[in-house]
Amino acid sequence: MSKEMVIQIENARVQMGGRTILAVDHLEVSRGERVAIIGNSGSGKTTLMRMLKGYVPCKEGKVVVMGDVFPIKDPQKIKTHHRHIGMIHQHFDLIGRETVWQNVYHGRLGYVSLLKSVFGICSQRDLQICAQAIHEVHLEDKQRRFARTLSGGEQQRVAIARALAQEPTILLADEPVSSLDPALAEDIMDLLVSVCDAYDLTLIMSLHLPELARKYADRVLAMKNGKIMWDGSSDSLSNDRIGEIYEFMGTNGVVNGNGTRASRSAFTWPYGWQGQPLPGG
Amino acid sequence: MAGKVSLFLAVSALLFWSFQGSEFSLGQFWRGIPQLFHFFGRMTPPDWSVWDVLLTSAVETLQTTIAGTFLGALFAYPLGVLAASNWTPVWVHLPIKAFMAFVRSIPLLLLALLFVSAVGLGPFPGVLALAVHSVGVLGRFVAEEIEATDQKPLLALQGTGASSLQIIQHGLIPQVLPQMVAHLAIRFEMNLRDSTILGLVGAGGLGFYVFLYVKQFQWQKSGVLVLAIIALVFAGEFAAWQVRKRLI
Ligand SMILES: Nc1ncnc2c1ncn2[C@@H]1O[C@H](COP(=O)(O)OP(=O)(O)O)[C@@H](O)[C@H]1O
Ligand SMILES: [Mg+2]
Repeated sequence: MSKEMVIQIENARVQMGGRTILAVDHLEVSRGERVAIIGNSGSGKTTLMRMLKGYVPCKEGKVVVMGDVFPIKDPQKIKTHHRHIGMIHQHFDLIGRETVWQNVYHGRLGYVSLLKSVFGICSQRDLQICAQAIHEVHLEDKQRRFARTLSGGEQQRVAIARALAQEPTILLADEPVSSLDPALAEDIMDLLVSVCDAYDLTLIMSLHLPELARKYADRVLAMKNGKIMWDGSSDSLSNDRIGEIYEFMGTNGVVNGNGTRASRSAFTWPYGWQGQPLPGG
Repeated sequence: MAGKVSLFLAVSALLFWSFQGSEFSLGQFWRGIPQLFHFFGRMTPPDWSVWDVLLTSAVETLQTTIAGTFLGALFAYPLGVLAASNWTPVWVHLPIKAFMAFVRSIPLLLLALLFVSAVGLGPFPGVLALAVHSVGVLGRFVAEEIEATDQKPLLALQGTGASSLQIIQHGLIPQVLPQMVAHLAIRFEMNLRDSTILGLVGAGGLGFYVFLYVKQFQWQKSGVLVLAIIALVFAGEFAAWQVRKRLI
């Protein structure tokens, strides 16, 4: 018997500004999988995650996430859907003027009634879950600090704890380590993967370095122009294959994150395609 | 180059036109200087026999300011949230923005005059005038502050399943609170200054007695009240500065 499907997509199309920016013909993700998405800036990685979260409407096709068929209309179901999908962002997106503990507690808001949250009433269970989440990311000694006073790596750990407090089934991580320096990036990736194992979460992450994808994912999707061009196990992602994929994806005038043209020469394995050295040398 | 010359000419013409139209005259000012000293001279020595009027009217001015600012803020904050163009649909924020701009365009003394004719003389019309004026000014600040806040952390909160009001409570308010308090302090300071002259149109406070005594040629008494106004405004400015200093 195959594992439970958490995500099923058939012929989904997302349009923005009169342009199709995402066109996924077929994608299935089963529970507990660790999927990495690689691809140039503008290839649609963020859009795919935003679509799964329900932020951008998909006009055509079939999308089913944990049994909910898109588009979800019932407000209560939208809320449940949000709770089940934790999301981690490149720039952490914490509330800087609240404490670490408060930011982690935000992950519980979807479970707490408005009245209770207005008066700051936390159930014993909420307190336990937050404490456990903070423990998982090793920030017990910093929980009273304002989030904005923490380093980037620590802020991303808070974001992971906030997502865990949601008691999610799926964790989306959009370039979780792109703003961190290489050594820290490995720490955060280790943490991310270990919590996903511990809580049996399905992890979908976009990564800027193919090496990270190979090391931390079971499965890799390579995207270009809103399409999935390659979908395979990370074991089959040999250096040659990576070379092939990049040859295939090309850099034909795609503008990279810094707004400069990514040149072909900047991409030379074993370097990332913007020429950063790999983590750990 | 030609552009700079024509800009220079245009600004010069504008300034000339303005000074000409407003009957600006250095000679007249020069001849008026002794009058100025004469005026202040008549206020001295201050007649401290009016200390009880001073005390009650200064307290009245302070109370008017506090009540008016509070009432204004009470409406300005929710209206400001609704007026933020990135939070509400255009048919909600546009009318509210227009309303606040309209309110701001009415000079405070005119508002006070309106309310005096509606509810009668005394500090109460002053409270209403300050409140309405504050809604226009504070509401705009609130809206602009919200429009300028980073929306991404708020979207992240939405992504946890939080409701709109929870996002306001746990995301928006913590992010904008310091600026909100700073604006409120500045508003209080300005309202205090403005409310000292509301008495001109019969809306209570220190100003009322200044003009009353001036009309009766009791210069030495009005001089005392002018001193009180200066002291009060100065104290208000100091208090607002203290508040803002603590926020930064
Ligand atoms: N709101 C939007 N309106 C119009 N185009 C958009 C919008 N969001 C993203 N796009 C376009 O969709 C494409 C994919 O963007 P994105 O998913 O952010 O790529 P990635 O995350 O892989 O860098 C880009 O070409 C981008 O310009
Ligand atoms: Mg992106």
